[in-house]
Amino acid sequence: MSEDLQKLIDEAVKKALAGDDEAINGIEDRVTRAKAKAALVKAKREQPNASEKSSTSESNEEQPAVENSENVTSKITKMLDYKFSDCLDGELHSDFIQLKPEYWFEIAKFLKEDPDAYFDSLQCNTGFDLGDGMLESRYNLHSMKHLHSIEIRIKVNIDNPDIPSVESIWRVADWFERETYDMFGINFTGHRDLRRILLPEDWDGWPLRKDYEEQETYHGIVVPKVKEGWE
Amino acid sequence: MGVVHGQEMVLNIGPQHPATHGVLRLQVKTDGEVISEITPYLGYLHRCFEKHCENVSYEQVIPFTDRCDYLASMTMNFGYVVAMEQLMDIKVNDRVEYIRVIMAELQRIASHLLAIGVFGLDLGAFTPFLHMLRDRERIIDLFEMTCGARLLYNYMWVGGLSHDLPKGFVEATLNFLDYFEPKVDEFENLLGHNKIFVERTADIGIMPAEVAINYGVTGPNLRASGVNWDLRKDNPYSVYSKLDFNVPVGKGIKGTVGDSWDRFYVRLQEIRESVKIVRQAIDQLPKDGDVHQSMPKKIRPPKGSIYSRTESPRGDLGYYIESDGSDTPYRLKMRSPAFTALGVLNEIAGGWLMSDVLAILGSLDIVLGEIDR
Amino acid sequence: MGFLENRFDDNVVVEKLDKLLSWARSTSPWFFQFGTACCAIEMMAAAASRHDLMRIGIIPRSSPRQADVMIVAGTVTMKMALRVKKLYEQMADPKYVVAMGSCATSGGPYWQHGYHVLKGVDLVIPVDVYVPGCPPRPEALIEGLLKLQEQILEGRPLTRKTG
Repeated sequence: MSEDLQKLIDEAVKKALAGDDEAINGIEDRVTRAKAKAALVKAKREQPNASEKSSTSESNEEQPAVENSENVTSKITKMLDYKFSDCLDGELHSDFIQLKPEYWFEIAKFLKEDPDAYFDSLQCNTGFDLGDGMLESRYNLHSMKHLHSIEIRIKVNIDNPDIPSVESIWRVADWFERETYDMFGINFTGHRDLRRILLPEDWDGWPLRKDYEEQETYHGIVVPKVKEGWE
Repeated sequence: MGVVHGQEMVLNIGPQHPATHGVLRLQVKTDGEVISEITPYLGYLHRCFEKHCENVSYEQVIPFTDRCDYLASMTMNFGYVVAMEQLMDIKVNDRVEYIRVIMAELQRIASHLLAIGVFGLDLGAFTPFLHMLRDRERIIDLFEMTCGARLLYNYMWVGGLSHDLPKGFVEATLNFLDYFEPKVDEFENLLGHNKIFVERTADIGIMPAEVAINYGVTGPNLRASGVNWDLRKDNPYSVYSKLDFNVPVGKGIKGTVGDSWDRFYVRLQEIRESVKIVRQAIDQLPKDGDVHQSMPKKIRPPKGSIYSRTESPRGDLGYYIESDGSDTPYRLKMRSPAFTALGVLNEIAGGWLMSDVLAILGSLDIVLGEIDR
Repeated sequence: MGFLENRFDDNVVVEKLDKLLSWARSTSPWFFQFGTACCAIEMMAAAASRHDLMRIGIIPRSSPRQADVMIVAGTVTMKMALRVKKLYEQMADPKYVVAMGSCATSGGPYWQHGYHVLKGVDLVIPVDVYVPGCPPRPEALIEGLLKLQEQILEGRPLTRKTG
């Protein structure tokens, strides 16, 4: 890369770090602009990087992970109880947090942006059929900065399975929620495009529920196993 | 200069296409040659893995996990077995742990070889594909010597392994590693520094680190964007804490950090690191120990749930297992790394040309069996 | 025929037109690589360096219009079954189908609880050769293709079939 180009990129990054966004957006050449944006992200990352490296070495040498996660769950439960009244559903547990569905969107925003919690990565979203007419959605959250994880569970009734969607907070939740909707029928309100992802659009029923019956034919093709006498 | 007004065209790639790594359908909205939006359509290989797991016993789940990511079956077994042993609180002896690490790392080499070979094949380079498959066949010979299967092994069982290492395995592996190490440099020169390959992949499909974390991308794709995150080092399981290896991170050698060339180069470097790990593991392998020692007679875990993650060649493989105290799992969910890697395609492919789309898709290294489960 | 026998030199062959056509069709069946799942990797390995399919004259083609044989390798799901039928109809006559692996033969390990799995590809298209295995070794696939060649040799394309 030529020297002038490198100088241009360095100047633009410095200006952007000081708060002037137009410096990078004003670069005309598309490739140079992309390089400048990547350099800016790298520079921003290097600032918290120093603290991340030291926290990695500390937590690896210290106590085993189990104790850390118990402390984290009770700490976060207390924080949530203090900030959002009446969000906890039922009794307290030591390895997961049971929440009511109404405030989930605000709580998720708080969990992502609060500097003590800073859960910037949603690891997994699982749907559950608990039986007795209750469905559940479980979220595993992890923080790349503090290296702690928690699990959040939200229960809903099968007749009205509405949970606020968090896909604008963690973009990975977009496809996770579509899959949970596809398999269980939990309706995530506020999702920009909630439709089936794995099964065809005209499929009947929610397969992973415990009381699911397969349909007989699909577009004329027989669905269940045909060779009956072989058992 | 006058402006030409065009109309958006909707084009369909797949589901049957030689370069889509399986049955994937991409609906591409283009303005001339420039892409404005890509929508992947999945589900053409949805084989109801999770429904099967609720109806068979815990031991019978292992062959099903093999078939999800068929290019890296050993690591899929490994992830499940680690999760079950945490749930049931079983401790296995050192010989089993070291053999598991050897198999997982050999599988990582085989999977990366195929990934890089097929990436080159998508761009038109047929020769590196043949070279890499030739070396991958030698690794498959080692696996066949041990457990009898070429592709889907069913090798790692809860509490142990299905077979012990046969006589002559260690010598054969060391011979293979001595033969293979100079070949990696050959591959780097043949494909990596080839001018056409560099032009087609450097500065294409740049994924900044924040986008990668927000979209849940893990594994070599995340490391190519500059984030030093490897589960074998940051959350060690099995005996990885006793082994010494580096974690390659993308540095933007040929272009920007996080472009397709970086994703290719991180995989190449990981092959070198895995060779190191296998050598160390063979050195530290205990000579005696029964691989069936800690296997329970009947797998019936206590009531509870667990979410555990291991490092597969494609990224963070997570298993969420909930048991209700009986013989069959109540719910088993596999969090597949390629699912999230495909989700980021729309974000990083906007603004590039049609022929770049296949370069970006090839660099993400997806396997449809794992995405659709 | 007895009138023409042994009347000419050795480099003149007299044969039925049927047999000539089936001989010409059997010796280089180009296959349409329709790989969906794990069996596709074994199909790729069969075409690669160690078990070289191309030495027998069988070349992989990516478009159905250029192929004679369709090797259905891997599980076919309900969503994909409609497309398989379309691809089969796009191939030009004469065309043959090889069902590779247990999933294409009868649903494979997913036959019992797989609501979305097609229990055998012969529910939508006619199959000529079944190659069992999960996945079958490349040598097994080559044997299946050679059996297909035998089948083509025995076929009599110009004879009108009765019954």
